[in-house]
Parts: sequence; structure tokens; C-alpha cells
Amino acid sequence: MSELVAIFFSMALVNNMVLVKFLGLCPFFGVSKKLSSAVSMGVAVMLVMLVASAVTWPLFHLLLVPSGVEFMRTVIFILVIASLVQIIEMAIKRTNLTLYNALGIYLPLITTNCAVLGITFINIDSEYTFIQSLAAALGAGVGFSLVLIIMSGIRERLDLADTPKVFRGAPIAFIIAGLLGLAFLAFGGMVG
Amino acid sequence: MTSTILAVISLSAVGLIAGVAIFVANRILPKEDKSLEKANEVKEFLPGADCGACGKPGCFAYAQAVAKDIEVLEATPCRILAKDEESSKQLGEYLGVDLADAGPGSKAIIHCTGDSPAIGSYNGVPTCGAAVLVGAGEKECPYACVGFGDCGAVCPVDAITVDRERQVAVVDWKECIGCGMCVQTCPRKLIELVSADTPQYLGCNYLARKDVAGRKKCQVGCIHCRICVRSSEHDEVVWDDATDLPRFDTTLAEAAIEKCPRKIIIKTIAFPEVVAAGTAESQVEEPAN
Repeated sequence: MSELVAIFFSMALVNNMVLVKFLGLCPFFGVSKKLSSAVSMGVAVMLVMLVASAVTWPLFHLLLVPSGVEFMRTVIFILVIASLVQIIEMAIKRTNLTLYNALGIYLPLITTNCAVLGITFINIDSEYTFIQSLAAALGAGVGFSLVLIIMSGIRERLDLADTPKVFRGAPIAFIIAGLLGLAFLAFGGMVG
Repeated sequence: MTSTILAVISLSAVGLIAGVAIFVANRILPKEDKSLEKANEVKEFLPGADCGACGKPGCFAYAQAVAKDIEVLEATPCRILAKDEESSKQLGEYLGVDLADAGPGSKAIIHCTGDSPAIGSYNGVPTCGAAVLVGAGEKECPYACVGFGDCGAVCPVDAITVDRERQVAVVDWKECIGCGMCVQTCPRKLIELVSADTPQYLGCNYLARKDVAGRKKCQVGCIHCRICVRSSEHDEVVWDDATDLPRFDTTLAEAAIEKCPRKIIIKTIAFPEVVAAGTAESQVEEPAN
């Protein structure tokens, strides 16, 4: 159990998807302008990461490894994640319209999010068991949402701040991202 | 060899299973909500360009809003649909309303006709935004169109092209749907949305207040002589003190266009019988084309 907790926090903070592994940077900058959309995006990514890990782990260990075609994992994982997102979107649209409207366009966008593909690879490269990979996926999702929410909070305040003209918009966002990365570096070495 | 075959088989198998899974999910899951059903049907009539001119994030969001409240169609009409009489009529029939009168709508105009002399060469990222960020582009005039076509890139209907010779963007009014995407994009803030029945506009955005010496930087720049104001008979041209440039209303100011020493008051195709004169020819396309 303590191992699962360690994996969870390791993925959420120490090996944070965005700031340490540099995955999923495009939603990190694209969707971090407003707090509300950052929360929607974070929840959607968390959900897809969890489901994607739950499906790709057995697929890899029960189909690709016995057949000796591990090198096919990139293509097959992309295929699986894309169809999963399709099904999840369909399910949410038909069962819970309010949630569908809240997630909006972010759900289909995640199909091509490298953070989702990244976590499935990390699960396999770190030789996690099925339960461990679920913990890792949840941790990665929480870490992604956390960073997205922090970033959007800062950027909402930044809009009101008197930034020098040349730094307005994207440049100051990149600088903030760098500082956030430095801050998250402090977690380095805390958990394995 | 076997691993190649296995790779092909495993990929096809996973693809097949995924396809079947989507099919099964489509069948098993409960039917869509009633309100969405109507929105889906409304969406069939919409152009699907997701241009955002109506103020909604995309065509589906617009269809949802229309399905919920039919007033939305009149309050924020779809600009592309307004041009397409066939689809417009069909949607009107489906919803049981008359969509014929959507008003004149808006069109984009570019307050520059190019021609400011180049003072250097820019070899960076070929977008207006980047060029303006590092310096001022290639032209001397700080209010000139940079000419890398950022506006054309965001235009959902490809109505804006760049005249390479003069390094200036040109709007095709017949295609323009007045969505205003280009207005937000232009780093020089040269583009403005005007009512589609506007007969003329000024092809320059030179703010004299900020730099009086600059009037010599361009052969087709406004020199703030105010002849247009003096030649107007019924106050169709007024001087805007805030920008130090003339403002026009929706009546044709023929005298002002004639008298302008720089010939930069440009007629639009709102009056098809007139063909823009002099420098204006490249700016507004002739209706015959």
C-alpha cells in the first residue's frame, strides 16, 4: 500500500508530467488561460489517463509481449487511446449532458495529448504491475491538473498585472512556466 | 518475417476490436438527449466552418443555442449561412421562421494600401506577429501592413490574400463574412469591421498625433490635410480628433474621394457601379471578376 502511495506522489509531484517530464506542454499553455477551463481539462485528462492505463497495460502484457511485437506499442497505443476517447465521449454525451458541456471540446482534444501516451509508456518502462500502473496514472493525472490549475490561477492574476509590454502574453507565461518548473525541482529526490 | 506478420495481425486485430467496440457502444448506450437531437439537426444546415463569428465556440455550440432559443438566430445570425440562400431557406423551413432579412452584416477593411518603402530585410519567422515583436517589419511606416498574412491565415473563408508586390493584405468583400478573426489577429490593429453597406474607407491608419514627421514616409499615407472634410456637403465626412483621421458615414462621399490628394479614400463594392480609382484598384476587387 505504501508503495502505491509512493508511486502516486512520485508521479504527481517529483516526476510531474508537465514540469519535470515536459509532456503535455501544449494544453499546459493552451488551456491555462482560465481557471474554469483548466479544471475541466484537468479532470478530462485524469479520466482518460486512468482508462488508457487500465486498457494498455493488459494489452501490452497479454498481447504484444507473447507475440514478440513490443515495438508496435506506439501505434497500437495511439489507436487504443483514440478509440477509448471516442467511446468515453459518446458515453458522457448520452448519459450526462451537463458534464459533456462542462468538458466541452477538451475531451476529443486529449486524443492526441502526449501526456496520455506518455503515462502508458512510463507504466511499461518502469515495469509496474497493473495496480501500480493505475496508481501512477492517477498520480500523473492529479499532477497534470495541479500544474494546470496553478498556472491558470497565476495567469488570471497576471492579466491584471502591469507587465512590461514586450513580456505580455506568451513570453511571461513561458517565464512563469520556468519558475514553476524550478519550484517543482524542489520535490526532486523526495520519493523514488 | 514472422514478427512482421504478427505486427500486422496484432494491429489489425486491435483496430478491428476498437471499431467493433465503438459500434457496440453506439448501440448499447442510451439515445441522446432530446435537446441534442434537435441541435444535431440544426447543425446539419450550418456551414461547419467553426469560425466563431456568431460568438459561440463552434457550429455545434451555435446549433445548441438555436435549438434552445430560436431568437439566437436573429440576435447573432450566422454570417456564412446568410450568404448561402439555399441552406438558409432550408433551415428557415425546418425551424418555421423567415431568415431572409439578416441585415447588411459586417465586412473587414484594411487601413493600409501598402507602398511604404522598405528600410531593411526581415529574415525571421514569417508571421506579422513575430516581425512586429522583434522590430517593425521591413517597412518604414510604423502603421503599415506588415504583409506576412497573419490575417489571411486565420480567415475561415480565405477571403484575405496578400498582394506580394505591395506587401499588403487585401480583403475580398464578396467572400468576407465579417467574423472579425482578422481584427484580433493583426498586430498593427489595421483591420476594422464596418457595416457591409459602407461605401468608402480610408486606406491609411497613420496617427499624426504621434509622429508628425512621419507623413513623408509613404506615398499613399494620409497627410491630414482635411480636404475631405471641407469638400463634404452634408457632414458625411467628419474629422476624428482622437485619431486625427477622417471618419465616414454610410453615404457616398464622391467629392472627398475625388479631392483626396493621396487618393486613399477607397470605394467599396457596396456600390458596384463604381470601380475604385488609382491606388485603390488592388485593394477592392472589381465586381466583374
